[in-house]
Amino acid sequence: MTKKRRRTKSERIRRREKIISFICLFVICVIWSIPLLYMLGSSFKSDIDLQLHPEKLFPSSWDEWTLKHYTGFLVRDGKIDKMPIWMLNSLWSTAACILVTVLFDLITAYALVFLKFKGRNGIIKFLFLWMAVPGVIGTAPGFVIFSQIRNALQMNETATYLYIYFWLIVPSGTGIFNMLLMRNFFLSIPPDIVDSAKSDGAGHRVIFRRIVCPLARSTLLLIVLFTFTGSWNNLVWPQLLLSGEDSYWQTVTVALTGYTGGSGWGQVGVSMATGVFSLIPIIIVFVITQNKMIDGIASTGLKG
Amino acid sequence: MSDQVIQQKAEENVFLCLKHLEKIYPNGEKAVHDFSLDISKEEFIVIVGPSGCGKSTMLRMIAGLEDITSGDIYLEGELLNYKPSKDRKMAIVFQSYALYPQMNVFDNIAFPLTINKYPMPVRCGELFFWGEIQRKLAQDADAVCKALREEAESRKSKRARAEKFALRCGISAEAANLLLELYRECGGTETGADWKEKIAEKVEAGKRELAEKGAAADEEYYLVDENGKHLIENRKLTAFEIKQRVFETAEKLDLVPYLDKLPRELSGGQMQRVALGRAIIKNVPIFMMDEPLSNLDAKLRLTMRSEIVKLHHKIGATTIYVTHDQTEAMTMATRIVVMSRGFIQQIGTPKEIYNDPANIFVAQFIGSPSMNVFEAQYEKDGIINLGGMKICGGEKLRQIHDEFYKNASKEFEAMLENFDGAAQEKLLQILSCTGESKKFGKVGVKKEKGLKKLFSLFKKQPAENVADKQAEIVREKCGQLARYTNSDHKVLLGIRPERVLIEKCEEGKDYTGRSVVMPTVCELLGGEYNIHFDFCGQDVVANFDAKQTISVNDRIAVSFLPEDIFLFDPVTGKRFF
Repeated sequence: MTKKRRRTKSERIRRREKIISFICLFVICVIWSIPLLYMLGSSFKSDIDLQLHPEKLFPSSWDEWTLKHYTGFLVRDGKIDKMPIWMLNSLWSTAACILVTVLFDLITAYALVFLKFKGRNGIIKFLFLWMAVPGVIGTAPGFVIFSQIRNALQMNETATYLYIYFWLIVPSGTGIFNMLLMRNFFLSIPPDIVDSAKSDGAGHRVIFRRIVCPLARSTLLLIVLFTFTGSWNNLVWPQLLLSGEDSYWQTVTVALTGYTGGSGWGQVGVSMATGVFSLIPIIIVFVITQNKMIDGIASTGLKG
Repeated sequence: MSDQVIQQKAEENVFLCLKHLEKIYPNGEKAVHDFSLDISKEEFIVIVGPSGCGKSTMLRMIAGLEDITSGDIYLEGELLNYKPSKDRKMAIVFQSYALYPQMNVFDNIAFPLTINKYPMPVRCGELFFWGEIQRKLAQDADAVCKALREEAESRKSKRARAEKFALRCGISAEAANLLLELYRECGGTETGADWKEKIAEKVEAGKRELAEKGAAADEEYYLVDENGKHLIENRKLTAFEIKQRVFETAEKLDLVPYLDKLPRELSGGQMQRVALGRAIIKNVPIFMMDEPLSNLDAKLRLTMRSEIVKLHHKIGATTIYVTHDQTEAMTMATRIVVMSRGFIQQIGTPKEIYNDPANIFVAQFIGSPSMNVFEAQYEKDGIINLGGMKICGGEKLRQIHDEFYKNASKEFEAMLENFDGAAQEKLLQILSCTGESKKFGKVGVKKEKGLKKLFSLFKKQPAENVADKQAEIVREKCGQLARYTNSDHKVLLGIRPERVLIEKCEEGKDYTGRSVVMPTVCELLGGEYNIHFDFCGQDVVANFDAKQTISVNDRIAVSFLPEDIFLFDPVTGKRFF
């Protein structure tokens, strides 16, 4: 009979570390996913079950499963429901937001890394400092500027809609975190590559477009993902700007808060279903971006 | 001829002229001191030195990737200092190859062509392409017809079809497009020579138009001036021309099978060749290479070394090659520049550098295994005492010695009298070759920032301290030199390993006048031994032919000839004999 080999000390330690970290991650994972599961389960519960068994994650018996809350999202009572409109609002503003953020971040990070100008370090330090300032601080002054201009301009309805969305989109493009993420990636690009492009005759525009941006694809996708979730889930600022406006103008998140008004349990199912529905785009974007993010800088053309 | 005329002649021959280049980094570190070098056409200059001696900085300054602190660069008499690196007509190959990771080999090589404009002969618009088609038809009509028939029926986009057709027939994409359109207009069939006639018509029409304009063209329909020379315009190359050139270059470097691979799929040698290809395709007069072989394994390095030399002979571009490997320098260069701590130590052909080193640094750096250096005693009347062994240099050595020390101490006195910036530089240069200069690496005043700036106001000025210390050193050296002029003193004696004469001792033989020692290590290299032994309390390396076997148990008799020794002054590091 062969004796089972005793593990060496380092193996035992590694195993123990693995087990501990697995337990920690598992606990965190469960805590994070319970609300999601609850939302998903509740959206399939019948109204009665919702009232009788609010403590259960999923419908209490097979009979209680229902798709009732999902019906009527697109068309209700013969006309287009508000839900698709909200989704559309959220979608286009998020897309614009991603575009603006990516553009700003790429250009700023490029300038900070590859251009030499006076005060560059000062600017970087300032940006780092700015990151420490909580975003909420800007809310009140931002809103004052927003409303003052709005009052002064006296716009018609479409213009107001666009104006509000301008204020939703553009300020979010100025996030520092994503820019610094990009900057860190640019710093990791071997300077030889850029030098070599320079001596090959490339100007900054060519280097930016043909060398740096294609390399930054994985970081770019990460930023897209961050911005997408950030913008899609954004609540406080849109709510501030959109409160009191036409309900067709709302974004999904703002609209969802309408269900928290406490107008009876009957709405719980619908609100949960709406929540699930509004998560779909995020899940899609995540699935698309996450496996492309992995093949990133692994493909450098350098020996070393 | 007067000196002036000779100098003028020399200047005409100069292709790339570097005048008093200096580099001080923003942190106050001076990387390059007073670098002057004239490079003529088709030279292969190797800049060699230990790591951190400023050789790469030098190269980057020439390439325009690094600002020049002071000094000038001229290319054929044209000042280059303020030109951006893309306008400098230079190609640079990096140690890391710096291939663009997201592009395949073809795109990597083609990259310089796709972004720059090149002087090309002016073509006569459409006529040029019709001419091309006509020539192709005359050459191989059947193949073109067949390809035309097939491609015209294929269901691809217009552009893709033209490209495919162009590739099949070996004509440019523009010509292919024109031909395909014409073919369509004629009903898309091959019946009759209808479309072939049309081509002739088009050519005639084009010629008439040309004649109306009063322009002339040669038989390939490039515009020519009245002397029959091609008119030149600066334009971007077409995809077809780029393809042609890339294939040409790839063939030169045996890269054709790898053209659609990504850099990460290539081996080190292949990546190296791609980097070379990217440099060659630019067709520039100056090549610069920054340690291009140091990432390759030993065998590949050897083959690539000869490849590069061959390439240099073939292309004839002036090459500046930076390396820390003295073997590469010796084997490849037409001229070597030896650098240490930012100073040029010596410039010369490999032979000069090896046989006639200017100072102790060059002597020890060049040659493998490196030169053996002993501390010896100089005695009056030109006798060198090396641990009891006396080498007689005679009257000649005495004269040279006296002359050298007289001049040297004069020089130092002059420096001491007026200890300014120039004198400081001179001292640093001397220290750089004796290898004592670590303490004074930083010359400029370091810029302090923020709070440190505030503190530095209260501190003593460090720059002054450095100057004081340096003056102290000069004073010390000056005193030493004065003493050395008239008395016995220490000198450094160098001898190359292959010049040390070794004989295996046999019983009953007389070895008076030679030292008999036991080797400590015998390294067999194949054709010869490197024999290490202790001599005068020092490890010495010597070469010994491997015809005879030798081991650590044997006794060897060591001697060397007076004409093979080099004598260096320990104070200044310079060679005087």
